[in-house]
Amino acid sequence: MNVGILGCGTMGRLHAEMAEKCGLKVVQCSDVNSQSGKDLAKNFKAKFVKNWEDVVANKEVDIVAIATPTPLHFPMLDMAIKKGKYIFCEKPLCRTVEECKKVIQKAEKAKIKLFVGHVVRYFHEFEAIHEQIKSGKIGEVGFIKMYRGGMPPQGKNSWFRDFSKSGGVTFDCMIHDIDWLRYIFGEVKTVYCQNLIEKNCAPLDYSQVTVRMKNGVLALVIGTWAHPSGFRVKVEVCGSDGLMYYDNMETPLEVQLREQSKVSGTIVPESPVIKSPYQKEWEDFISWIKDGKEPRVSMYDALKAVEIVSACLRSAKIKQPVNL
Amino acid sequence: MVKLGIMSFAHLHAYSYAHCVNLIPEAELTAIWDDDKERGKEASKQYQTNFVEDLDKFLSLPIDGVIITSENVNHKPMAIKSAEAGKWILCEKPLATTIEDAMLMINTCKKAGVGLGVAFPCRFLTPILKAKEYIRSGKLGTILSISCTNNGSYPGGWFGDVKLSGGGAVMDHTVHVADLLRWMLDKEFDSVYCELGNQMHKGILETDDMGCLQLEMEGGIQVSHIASWNRPKSFPTWGDVTMEFIGTKGVLYLDAFNQKLNIYSDFAMKTEWGFWGDNPDLGLIQDFVNSIQEKRDPMSKGIDGLRSVEVTVFAYESYKAGKKVKIKKSKC
Repeated sequence: MNVGILGCGTMGRLHAEMAEKCGLKVVQCSDVNSQSGKDLAKNFKAKFVKNWEDVVANKEVDIVAIATPTPLHFPMLDMAIKKGKYIFCEKPLCRTVEECKKVIQKAEKAKIKLFVGHVVRYFHEFEAIHEQIKSGKIGEVGFIKMYRGGMPPQGKNSWFRDFSKSGGVTFDCMIHDIDWLRYIFGEVKTVYCQNLIEKNCAPLDYSQVTVRMKNGVLALVIGTWAHPSGFRVKVEVCGSDGLMYYDNMETPLEVQLREQSKVSGTIVPESPVIKSPYQKEWEDFISWIKDGKEPRVSMYDALKAVEIVSACLRSAKIKQPVNL
Repeated sequence: MVKLGIMSFAHLHAYSYAHCVNLIPEAELTAIWDDDKERGKEASKQYQTNFVEDLDKFLSLPIDGVIITSENVNHKPMAIKSAEAGKWILCEKPLATTIEDAMLMINTCKKAGVGLGVAFPCRFLTPILKAKEYIRSGKLGTILSISCTNNGSYPGGWFGDVKLSGGGAVMDHTVHVADLLRWMLDKEFDSVYCELGNQMHKGILETDDMGCLQLEMEGGIQVSHIASWNRPKSFPTWGDVTMEFIGTKGVLYLDAFNQKLNIYSDFAMKTEWGFWGDNPDLGLIQDFVNSIQEKRDPMSKGIDGLRSVEVTVFAYESYKAGKKVKIKKSKC
């Protein structure tokens, strides 16, 4: 099967690599920035195409992988569904709940396999946390604190810095943690959010979200695009009979080079494991296509995640809790 | 010589305070009173002082100041009696469990002309003093957001009895951080939204044992705070005080008690953290001794106690109302 990549930034490149690892061929790619498009094309022996529509319309392309700014997801999904492609879409599914619902309706009708990259569900450490919870090691879980983030998205013209497009750290980044909470603990009842969107200090954003699940579990999720350096993930799960804690700063490897490396693009967290979580999500997607095995993430999950983070943004605006 | 008495060893902090009094050359632990005779006698032996069973007799002794470390709801009657006897007062936190009680305590002390302090030893933690210095220096720019925790393990006993404690983890673990932020930033709290629960102890506690507060301070500073008893018995230490400050020019992360040894002992059969930082209680008690000598209020005054009680009371109000509420500040 052949893959067409839409959006040749950090994530587009990563997905191209994963597609290759899964034995697929990247045949075409597109990006408004023709330099990054051409670079990717060169690396993967693919063809750079100026208009994304041409990639989606191309008969040779079986799978469309969307890794563009969030507001572009909707038109791309719309066309890819029309053209009957298999679709891998980076999270968030769309910028609004309404767009998500339209896309799902169309995908259902056209029987399209649409996978959304809620990759945290595939991270080894999060799988391990899930396993420990299921084993009852810490008793019944009552409280979770999740923390994610670091530097604001780099690059002066990065679309992430336009919060009307990206939704800030809450919509773009914390959607991972909020999706994971829902994956493990079920539906969300209420959210309360404070973030910096209204403070007009973009690209800085710092968001603090209280999540009350329907089953009574309480969580505080913190997301930061306000740090001068680094990328941090911390998870603390508190149960009736114990507590567990994960911190991505505790790693088996520490390397420092004398020549300072330049930092550019979005930072992608790396786990030094044989199979990266990104490869795992691609394999899950491919096995859905090939064997019909339902993947870990459904498009309905992706819709729910957008619903919850949209409720967070609304809460931050009205400064009151929002019920789902 | 400043003569001090301790009223009740119901709160564990009493033991540390007693120890600190004995470390200060110009102070003397003259007597202990406790409504639990056994406990009081035992403590008097431990700290080589007198146990006085009768409260009126205790207050008629020539002691200059009292440290009140009773159950939360008993702070008020003890403080009032002590004030009327002309004693300087250092009261365990929270100052009171209601705004009315806190006001009455403050007004009684004012009328009696005695100093009233609230035991907020965190103000004397060296890493916190250093953090305050950074923030006040302007190096972080304007503070936009802060996320805090005051986690702990369930202290047991009367803490879980709402008639004596006035509330659970939110009552116990909101005031330290509320006081620190007011003091570090010189700003008040405007509003609070609170979610809480009691699942950490399988619902057997009638009080809450986990709370998550979202607050706004003057100038729109966004604060989250976890007030909890979520540390299990197997946890290496009692808990923590942490704060992450997000400023326009930088960020500061503070883990106030993270001056520790990791200890793996086959005698304990659990990992333990041995704290080696400066003892904040010593600063607290030294300031109380100084306040008596200088005839002034201790560093954390009655109004500081009141303001942090207000944050707590309105947090519970918010939970009951299911919405964010304004924190009304009482005049005193």
